[in-house]
Amino acid sequence: MSNGTLEIKAISGHAGPVAGRDTSRDYDVCKLIDVTTCIGCKACEVACLEWNGYPFRETVFDNTYQTMPDLAWNYYNLIRFNEHVAEDGTFSWLMRKDGCMHCADPGCLLACPADGAIVQYANGIVDFNQDNCIGCQYCVTGCPFNIPKFNHETKKVHKCTLCSDRVGAGLEPACIKACPTGCLHFGSKDDMKDLADKRVKQLHEHTSHKSAGVYDPPGVGGTHVIYVLHDIDHPQYYGGLPKDPRVPLLVRIWKGPLKWLGNFAIAAGVIAAATHFVRYGPKKVEEPKKEEVV
Amino acid sequence: MSTAAATHYVSSDAIQRYTFHERVMHWLNALAYTYCLATGLAFYTPHLFWLAVMLGGAPTSRFWHPILGIGFFIAMIWMHVVWRSDMEITETDKRFLSNVEDYATNRDDRVPPQEKYNGGQKLYYWLMYYGTFLLLFSGLFLWFPEYISFSLAWVRHLMIVLHEVAALITIGGFIVHVYMSVFLVPGSTDAMIHGSVSRAWARTHHRLWYIRVTGGDPVGKE
Amino acid sequence: MTNGWIDIKNTDMMLIMGGNPAENHPCGFKWPVEAKRERNAKMIVVDPRFTRTAAVADKFLQIRAGADIAFLGGMINYALENQRIAKEYLVNYTNASFVIKEGFKLPDDGLYSGYDHDKQTYDKSTWNYEGAGAHQAPSGKASQSGEAPAPPLAPRQAPPPPSLPPNVIYDTSLAHPRCVYQLLKQQYSRYTPEMVERITGIPKDQFREAADMFTSVRKDGDMKKVATIIYAVGWTQHSFGAQIIRAAAMLQLLLGNIGRAGGGVNALRGHSNIQGATDVAGIFDSLPGYLKVPNPTDKDFAAWMTRITPGSSKPKDWDSFNYYSNTPKFAVSFLKSMYGDAATKQNDWAFDYLPKVDREYSWVHIWDDMYQGKVKGVLSFGMNSVAIGPNSQKTINALKKADWLVVCEIYPDETSEFWKSPGISTDDMKNIPTEVYRLPGAGFAEKDGTFVNSARWLQWKWAAVPPPGDCQLDQAILARIFLKVRELYQKEGGKFPDPILNLTWNHLDPNNPSLSELAKELNGRAISDVTDAPTQTTMKAGQQLPGFSWLRDDGSTSCGNWIWCGSWTEAGALTQRRGTDDPSGLGIYPNWAWSWPMNRRVLYNRASCDLNGKPWDPDRRQVWWNEAQKKWLGVDVPDFKPDSAPKDHMGPFIMNPEGVGRLFVPLAGMADGPFPEHYEPFESPVANLFHPQQNTNPVVKKYTSDMDKYGTPDQGFTVICTTYRLTEHYHYWTKNNPMNVQLVPQMFVEIPVELAADLGIKGGEKVKVSSARGTYIAKAMVTRRIKPMTIDGKKVYQIGIPIHQGYRGIQEDAGRESKTLANLLSPTVTDPNAYTPEFKGFLVKLEKA
Repeated sequence: MSNGTLEIKAISGHAGPVAGRDTSRDYDVCKLIDVTTCIGCKACEVACLEWNGYPFRETVFDNTYQTMPDLAWNYYNLIRFNEHVAEDGTFSWLMRKDGCMHCADPGCLLACPADGAIVQYANGIVDFNQDNCIGCQYCVTGCPFNIPKFNHETKKVHKCTLCSDRVGAGLEPACIKACPTGCLHFGSKDDMKDLADKRVKQLHEHTSHKSAGVYDPPGVGGTHVIYVLHDIDHPQYYGGLPKDPRVPLLVRIWKGPLKWLGNFAIAAGVIAAATHFVRYGPKKVEEPKKEEVV
Repeated sequence: MSTAAATHYVSSDAIQRYTFHERVMHWLNALAYTYCLATGLAFYTPHLFWLAVMLGGAPTSRFWHPILGIGFFIAMIWMHVVWRSDMEITETDKRFLSNVEDYATNRDDRVPPQEKYNGGQKLYYWLMYYGTFLLLFSGLFLWFPEYISFSLAWVRHLMIVLHEVAALITIGGFIVHVYMSVFLVPGSTDAMIHGSVSRAWARTHHRLWYIRVTGGDPVGKE
Repeated sequence: MTNGWIDIKNTDMMLIMGGNPAENHPCGFKWPVEAKRERNAKMIVVDPRFTRTAAVADKFLQIRAGADIAFLGGMINYALENQRIAKEYLVNYTNASFVIKEGFKLPDDGLYSGYDHDKQTYDKSTWNYEGAGAHQAPSGKASQSGEAPAPPLAPRQAPPPPSLPPNVIYDTSLAHPRCVYQLLKQQYSRYTPEMVERITGIPKDQFREAADMFTSVRKDGDMKKVATIIYAVGWTQHSFGAQIIRAAAMLQLLLGNIGRAGGGVNALRGHSNIQGATDVAGIFDSLPGYLKVPNPTDKDFAAWMTRITPGSSKPKDWDSFNYYSNTPKFAVSFLKSMYGDAATKQNDWAFDYLPKVDREYSWVHIWDDMYQGKVKGVLSFGMNSVAIGPNSQKTINALKKADWLVVCEIYPDETSEFWKSPGISTDDMKNIPTEVYRLPGAGFAEKDGTFVNSARWLQWKWAAVPPPGDCQLDQAILARIFLKVRELYQKEGGKFPDPILNLTWNHLDPNNPSLSELAKELNGRAISDVTDAPTQTTMKAGQQLPGFSWLRDDGSTSCGNWIWCGSWTEAGALTQRRGTDDPSGLGIYPNWAWSWPMNRRVLYNRASCDLNGKPWDPDRRQVWWNEAQKKWLGVDVPDFKPDSAPKDHMGPFIMNPEGVGRLFVPLAGMADGPFPEHYEPFESPVANLFHPQQNTNPVVKKYTSDMDKYGTPDQGFTVICTTYRLTEHYHYWTKNNPMNVQLVPQMFVEIPVELAADLGIKGGEKVKVSSARGTYIAKAMVTRRIKPMTIDGKKVYQIGIPIHQGYRGIQEDAGRESKTLANLLSPTVTDPNAYTPEFKGFLVKLEKA
């Protein structure tokens, strides 16, 4: 690809190395979601839908301000509303923009068997290519954040692309553009980390949020979507954000040792059979009486 | 060759080993398993992804793999109904298995006489039989992962590994099965295609069965 | 807003109360967030519900709806008790030192001096400053060049209304027992934290913490820090709404926060051009530019001017600019723009053409008149009459009695279909004689023109797309109606055709006047050459005027709205400017659009400096006195007489005749008292703790038809209900837009978990809310965001209803909504000053549906 911004550094289900494997860009992209300044206005939800051209859907009132219970194949961006009462009785209304975290070590890509259905660009964006998707949903299994969603009709899986089309053209993602309060930021990972750290320091020094922190989970190699949370010790309060997300161990075993062991075993089996044949040859049938063979 | 084969086919010497019904059953089973094997291997390792491409493309493979998996399961149950009694492990089989090293090194004269199916065949049967259940059970979870809530994600993880391990075990058996039936024991494939084996073949490989179906000690008597 | 949206970023402290900007002004809310992020500003949110704004606040207090004055009174008391006040500012820039007349009485029993129990009004003559010497005619300083003196009063005419003394007795030591400061102290000494807790339901410790936090900007006499107060209709929509805002203004004056970057009293406007609507007389009692409308006692132009042009009223050693002394210039120029050559000095500038307003014609009153059969028809443009006012059923029943109704809309709405509102059978419809005309209007993106935002910016916008199909621009529809009416007057004459026949209508296309023509007319132009004496510059006849200082009362200028003068000058449409330079870094953006008055971004900005003209905070300096140039300079346009030296002690509040901010509002300023006093909402579950015998506002406006019912706790209406909007919806429009409907598909009632448990209601179940006036049905949203309250030991529940349900819309048409309007519940009770209905805090009953 001539466009360096979207150079690919990892491909799912791909035999052999990838052209862009060792490329290093000056910066990775990153979206910073400062949950402490999110007002749950849903502008990001609408911007996401409109940019991706998805239709508006029928939803049902569900005793919450949240648009719907979960993300959908054509709804990449959902603000999760959670009422939380702390042990000391302090009430908080937490609003977290949920969507793909664009892990540096993406479980979806690891789990995906289809060549080129999931790619990771050198800038950190993890993108699904539905043309290559086979609909197995192993990505769903590989994802520690419950993000990819399946379209039953097309048998394809979708998720936030971090607006790779926009970013490739030098624009910020649509959600960033729409955010009215500046809760969403977009830039290089270093800059966003820096901004997030400063905000956390500010929260520690000037507010009651003494356990504020940056959510950039190392279990998945860090993410290209990071959060500033009021309470980094309890990410689960924010609508089920996992405390220490990792690519599931069994998925790692499956895609790691088990795969190689299996490959080896199969190859060894075939070779053993061939060797056996060469060494011992076919079994002979005993011929007890000549006259019996006409 | 053709004359010989034809001669063999009509030979009065031939003993029917598999009925037509059994042969159809076996090959349907084999077809379903092989398809699942090929597509499964394609999903299993990028180095074999081309298998799916050859079989009509990966999305198509993903679509048919679980359906033929069900087909395989049904064929297996059918097989079980027909062959279950033949496949019970007996003292004879245990003796065979204790002498399996002689069998494997083609010192067949040291191997005790066997029934219609020897201990190894029976073991393969049971391996496939139980493997089918494991594959079906775990496969259903892989087929419809969207219905498993995220809080039960561990179930999906476990099932994927289970499916894989079960598949690998059956593959192991399958390699042995194909090797033996195609290469190691000439006449086996023929038997599964045409249904009959020569008396000598039967006598050599499954002497107890041979005695049972021919009615006595064949050696020099006829 | 005294300040502006962007200016909020300059603040150190925010009190957001009576508003939910995160919900209703999410784009503007970036500035409060910016203040938090960039200045470590603190945000205190006080609301009956834990709102989206509360979600990002530093401190949230849940208040009982309608207890705002008790809370703010408590804040004032806290500031006074703890001397968290701006002493120099208070003494010199407010009327704290002014001495009040003897005979003035504070409302210990709920009533100020002068109450007339029969008429339910006040005689306000004691609500005045003590003057030295005899009172002068009020228009002493009014510019009356060439005017004939007012004619002697006719014998039968009532005595002139009391006026302010030109020379006010004052005491800068603030020790005089009748000085405003002492009265203020006395008034609010009753608003102790204990009392605040008993009335508002806010625990006193929490109240103290909040009060301490807010007033901390004046800790130890420091003047550098600034606090802002941000509110919206959560304050105005009460039967004492104007007084809540007064209380906020007083608190800000006490703390010296008005006129300063990051300070002020900031009303957030709920519609894109509601500020513009009020600027051009969206209210019955004002003309464009807030000129007071004539009434029948104004026999001629001069009498009108005499009544509405104030004379300055100040301590003798101080100076007062008293800018409203220029009122005649604004009025004559306005009449010239309306009637052109037909307005001459000889005919009193066509004063007779202006309607004389004899009584209240506010929204609720109009519909009451229609319900009484007095109003026969209505043009309903740019609103959904049935849905937006209180007691919707009364509005619907009133429309049934009208002869005709014209609705201009972009969707089929509740008003144009009032005749098939729920409950009206097909047979009933046959008996509704009202002729309904539905005109296809144009949407906001299909029109050009200006929006005036909360920050008083006139921003031009361009049409994005043409109106579809047969849809027409409002001005095209109105022009054709006007031209037809004029034609009829021309043909048939009539009782008084002159105002219609002589109305200026100089448009290129009379059938479709362009809004740029109207904008230029509103700005004003020279009719004949006008020369500015100090600078000796001249505007030639026909030229657009550069500002209202050019307006004349001799007929040589024309101006449709004096406060907008300067928006479309010879330099072009300043409203179309999009300059993004901000040299001061204060977010002034002087070349972005244009803000009234005279492109000032912060009103009263003289008050951002100390007595010597030095900014209180050099880091946020807006204007300052330059001794060398003998001039006020600034990064903002000084809101002051540019050459008035600090030693002259001219007050910074130049629009008041006193020149200073009013802690005490004298005379007719407020209908219900010079100081705000806590009264209970008209429907309240508890008695007024200060004076149970005077529970509610003594001069509240209520109605008496058979449709005007009011509920009491004894009738089972025990739950407090408040109404509001959602981010996801815009009034009654967006229920026609699938995008908005997707985000919030169905309307709901927010119910505290505890109340829901009491009534066995689960989230998602349908509930019925009834008031004395009507019933609303929607799904229950059971939440912890509204907690049960303890009011003087009594458990009180509050619930909330978003207003967006109607009987036309995607969900309504699909049968997925109950088709009940929230305003079926709300009462026809209004504030006596602004006539705003009490939508926030009335009594209801809650049941499972």
